[in-house]
Amino acid sequence: MSSHMSSRGLPEFELLIPRTSPEAMDMLAQHRDQLSILNGGTALWNYVRGRNRVTPYVLSLSALKGLDYINEIPGDGLRIGAKATIAQLIEHPAVSAKYAALHESGYWFGNPTVRNMATVMGNVLRASPSADCSCALLALGCQVILQNKSGQRAVDIDDFWLSYDVTARKPDELAVEIRIPEPKATTRSAFQRLTRVRQDLAKLNVAVRLEMDKGVCQQARIAIGCVGPTTMRVKKTEALLQGKAINDSLLEQLATSVRGEISPIDDQRSTALYRQQVAGVIVKRTISRAAADKGATQ
Amino acid sequence: MKTRSITLCVNGRDYTFEVPHNRTLLQALRDDLKLTDTKYGCGSGECGGCTVLINGKDNINSCLTLAAEMEGKHITTVGGLTKNGQLHPIQQAFVELGAIQCGFCTPGMVMKTASLLAHNPNPSEDDIRRGLEGNICRCTGYENIIRAVQKASQMINASATQCAGGACS
Amino acid sequence: MSDLTYVGKNIPKVDAKEKVTGQAIYAGDLQFPDTLFGKIVRCWEHAHAKVTHLDLSEAAKVPGVVKVLGPKDVTQKLYNCGVLDLLASEEVGHMLGEIEDQRIFTDYVRHQGDAICGIIAETQEIAEAAAAKVIVKYEPLPVYLQPEESAKPDAIQFDARKPGNKAFQLPEQMFPNNVYGWGDVDAEMAKAELIIENTFQLPKVKQCQIEPHAYVALFDQRGRLSIWTSTQMPKLVQNKLARLFEMPLSKLNLIPTTIGGGFGGKLGMIFEPETCAMALAVPGRHVKVQSLREEDWVASESRHPGKYWLKIGFLKDGTPVAADALFTADTGAYFTHATGVPFTTGAWLIGMYKYGAVRYKTNAYYTNKAPSGAFRGYGNPQTNFVLEQTVDQACRQLGIDPVEWRKRWHKQVGDDGWCLGIPYASSSLTECLERGAAKIGWAEKRAKYANQSGPKRRGVGVSVMNHTSGAMPMLLEHTVAKVKMNEDGSAVINVACSDVGAGSHTALTQIAAETLGIPMEDIYIDNNMDSAGFDVGSHASRTAYVGGGAVMKACEDVNRQLIERASTRLGIPVDQLEIKNRQVVSKDGKASMSVKEICNVGVSNYINPANGERNGVPGQIQGYASHFPSHNSPPFGACFAEVEIDIETGQTKVVEMVIAHDIGRAIHPPSVHGQLAGGAQQALGMTLTEEIRYDEKGLIQNNSFFDYKLFGPLDMPKLTTILVENPDPGAPYGLKSVGEAGTVNPVGAVANAVSHALGIMFTEAPITPERILKAVNERGIK
Ligand SMILES: Cc1cc2nc3c(=O)[nH]c(=O)nc-3n(C[C@H](O)[C@H](O)[C@H](O)COP(=O)(O)OP(=O)(O)OC[C@H]3O[C@@H](n4cnc5c(N)ncnc54)[C@H](O)[C@@H]3O)c2cc1C
Ligand code: FES
Ligand code: FES
Repeated sequence: MSSHMSSRGLPEFELLIPRTSPEAMDMLAQHRDQLSILNGGTALWNYVRGRNRVTPYVLSLSALKGLDYINEIPGDGLRIGAKATIAQLIEHPAVSAKYAALHESGYWFGNPTVRNMATVMGNVLRASPSADCSCALLALGCQVILQNKSGQRAVDIDDFWLSYDVTARKPDELAVEIRIPEPKATTRSAFQRLTRVRQDLAKLNVAVRLEMDKGVCQQARIAIGCVGPTTMRVKKTEALLQGKAINDSLLEQLATSVRGEISPIDDQRSTALYRQQVAGVIVKRTISRAAADKGATQ
Repeated sequence: MKTRSITLCVNGRDYTFEVPHNRTLLQALRDDLKLTDTKYGCGSGECGGCTVLINGKDNINSCLTLAAEMEGKHITTVGGLTKNGQLHPIQQAFVELGAIQCGFCTPGMVMKTASLLAHNPNPSEDDIRRGLEGNICRCTGYENIIRAVQKASQMINASATQCAGGACS
Repeated sequence: MSDLTYVGKNIPKVDAKEKVTGQAIYAGDLQFPDTLFGKIVRCWEHAHAKVTHLDLSEAAKVPGVVKVLGPKDVTQKLYNCGVLDLLASEEVGHMLGEIEDQRIFTDYVRHQGDAICGIIAETQEIAEAAAAKVIVKYEPLPVYLQPEESAKPDAIQFDARKPGNKAFQLPEQMFPNNVYGWGDVDAEMAKAELIIENTFQLPKVKQCQIEPHAYVALFDQRGRLSIWTSTQMPKLVQNKLARLFEMPLSKLNLIPTTIGGGFGGKLGMIFEPETCAMALAVPGRHVKVQSLREEDWVASESRHPGKYWLKIGFLKDGTPVAADALFTADTGAYFTHATGVPFTTGAWLIGMYKYGAVRYKTNAYYTNKAPSGAFRGYGNPQTNFVLEQTVDQACRQLGIDPVEWRKRWHKQVGDDGWCLGIPYASSSLTECLERGAAKIGWAEKRAKYANQSGPKRRGVGVSVMNHTSGAMPMLLEHTVAKVKMNEDGSAVINVACSDVGAGSHTALTQIAAETLGIPMEDIYIDNNMDSAGFDVGSHASRTAYVGGGAVMKACEDVNRQLIERASTRLGIPVDQLEIKNRQVVSKDGKASMSVKEICNVGVSNYINPANGERNGVPGQIQGYASHFPSHNSPPFGACFAEVEIDIETGQTKVVEMVIAHDIGRAIHPPSVHGQLAGGAQQALGMTLTEEIRYDEKGLIQNNSFFDYKLFGPLDMPKLTTILVENPDPGAPYGLKSVGEAGTVNPVGAVANAVSHALGIMFTEAPITPERILKAVNERGIK
């Protein structure tokens, strides 16, 4: 992990702990890219330790109230506050009932301790191609709400990750909410990942959302992680599904198509070749499971 | 280096002290408060040796938590489970079932168990395995630990206190 | 045997309560007033380089830095951090040649993590900040990561005394032509009707004890150097340090702390030399050195990787006519255990089956990887992967059941063991095989999985092993035990034996309680190294066996004295007396004297003022034994594993495992089960996921638990451990060892289960999904 001689402690910084949102916005406006936002800390501190460097300021969200919600708004969708944890996510009944891919991404995520600390927002903002909830969110489609001193804006998740470790967030913005549109009764979704052992980051993860109509797929979103600099959609493959009944020969076509759309690399968790070969298999399996409406947390 | 004055309630006792901003809770416990029952095994959230309970129920990795963010929180370490020299049922079960070899993972395992049982008093074997994920033991193969958690859950359910976590006394 | 009161009982371990409450003190937990913190500055960016410039001046200026130490500020003496040189007889030691090649701080970097200099400061943070200010310039050298590269004639020579970068081969005087074995292999091999020949690639695996190395040292005003360490080998490390720093043992005070796991990772000196050197530089102040997990990874030892070529010839009826092997070991940057592991790797091969003839050769080469060293099993997991898979290939081609073959051809009582010339005194391997096979449902599963289709394939495999209880006769075996009987009849046992967590102090206490006939609560194990006599330490699965033998003898010595004193007092001949229920009683039951009274009288030996007579025999009772075992009782084991493989992803799940172990007698059954289960976790890692990987510059790519994956609770299979108890005739209470054995057998059993499921043998470990999928695709398995 660390490519330098590391130390037991963290590098030095000044910690800011705002108690109100306006206070936080002021600090963000003042320090901009000299500041890192600290949420659950499960990604940030390892990132910092891995480089032995940190911005001069760190802004902790710990004292901000009212951001740890997961609300279902009937007719609208799901709203996830900046501080909602993965543990909250998987315990939320609406998430498991209607947003299967997201629930499953949380279910397979890390371990109980990390799930207590890690936030869904931190997962998205880390902009890592292996992030599990991020993969599910890209398949489900969502907006990230960013706020600065002068107000809020919404960025579509499709436009959010610009490259590895880079997001559309401006330095003075805080990500405050994730909004996921409400699924239809016929919407199906699922998530699957491959790891070396159970507690691991993904070597490959896949999430799909299918709009089904009597066995025919009207529209599909397929997100894949660990096969490029950001979690990505495979749009050509998605197009192949449109208006089709899901059967074995279609699934084979999809698998072949996926392989052509991704360009994975070798890293500590797997090889480019393996990811290339297996991505199609996992896409096939995730789609058939979603279509069959079978959960995968057992 | 900037410091902050913080008050932590650890195992029912308040400690007010100055910490540098970049101090982790693990460093604060071990190096400042000299409470060395919580262990450093990796410093990166991957071994579980530093697991402590927050507010009697939720387990966190103290190596990934800043001490300054814990202001006013109740923290329970393994030492805090033992009341007046009396082992907590989880500790008792770990002792009886040979769940301890070198013992270095034990404090973390016990705290993880406390959190697991506080949320789920009757876990299945699979729940236990899932509940202990993130805490690595290199000695036991987890077998005896899993049996100890089963036993602890029975002991707690049979006892009057019905309290798995460390915050109740 | 049910006539035993303490041995074989399922009682809590003696140290469990202090560990479960967090009260056990590991080295990193020690707190002394006025402690300084030491940081070892390591080369992080090169695996092979000359230090051309070292500037400590900026580091020295950091406020709070007390001292900076470069290579010239500490002893320049060479050492070998391993301990085998202290255990080999003089003539064998001579044959090993020059094995000391390490320095405290070096100007020639041989692997990433080599120590360059040291910083001593008022706090850990200051020491680390100052470390970042050390300026080092390097001249990079070509990096050799495989023996084939470092052995090339034009390669840079690591050590002028070791031409060709060859650290070791079997010594000529003892093993002419680098051969260990018997018979005429070429002639026997010529008779073979089937030959299985493969080259296997073995991974570099890390011990991953959860406690990272930590120490405190103090050089006091009296000139004593104290070192607190969680070493597995207190006495040998004390000896090594005394030699390195040229001090008498009486001045080298080693204080063992609770050990947070060792597995070979704390065998011999690790960072004790650096820590002591720092303490010597700041007399009067404690210096604490705590290593980081990453540091532990790059700078300490791991399992020997290498290439293992094995060829076995069989007759059609299964007879193994000849075995021919060559292990090319990668000893890494320093010599360390270049003799021991390459030798024993062959010993386990030789100790297993009744080949018509066998020839084992080995060469160990330096590379620019972290030094290889001791890791639980000491070459045996490597052999298990290679030998057991080879046997299964033969069985498959010959149509012989692998369990039946092993029952027929494993060595039996009376056959030469792993050390030729020393026959096995006991073996219950056949029973292990039978009970294990029944438990897992071997016959049914083998048949059921013979023909499968679909994406999930199951397989079931078996493996057997032999091991050792102590290192006799190859290495010294010796433990001194002293039993002091207190005046109230309780006992303190003074030994240098360590407890790495395996439960040896519990077992020693049980043996003492049984032999003395007093409750375990009345016995305390004292580990003070100033007063303790010699002990080899925790390696070679020896502590219960040799340490237990020593404790038993010392307790018998106490019993003898008790009877003699009672005889004097009671006026009854010693052969008419025995000890029962803490009483010395006459065999006719008419006279008795309590053990407590005898002990007390010896201490409080008043003279009767009326008649001037003494109140019995004066002197406190102490038992003593300086024990050199005459045996080495061999443990055996059989392991069965069932796997399920997803042939579309290559993912392997180990579904179930049954481990049957020939334990002789389980002194503390929960510990024995625990050793087998814990060993399985390590063995499964080596077989399926674990491997230290290097980039082309020789830098470790996975120096954290993020990147190097260990099995967690959900990864472990359903596990049954079976203890087969047939006491060994020459062992204390009939016990045989288990500690090291744990990591051995699951390796071969899982590999064989994988090849049963797929019909493919994997010659490279770990058998990752990536490797499986590649092989499945190449074979066109659908
Ligand atoms: C042991 C372990 C296991 C893990 N397993 C998994 C796994 O299985 N799957 C997975 O996907 N990840 C895993 N992770 C990675 C990590 O836990 C996740 O990425 C997590 O979701 C990050 O959330 P956090 O709240 O801890 O983020 P932090 O670490 O607090 O922050 C992460 C990044 O997001 C930014 N950020 C956070 N919140 C905001 C905000 N509101 N506005 C602007 N920027 C913000 C931070 O500045 C930082 O750059 C694991 C980590 C550990 C230590
Ligand atoms: S020390 Fe915190 S998880 Fe390892
Ligand atoms: S008991 Fe040693 S790591 Fe768990």
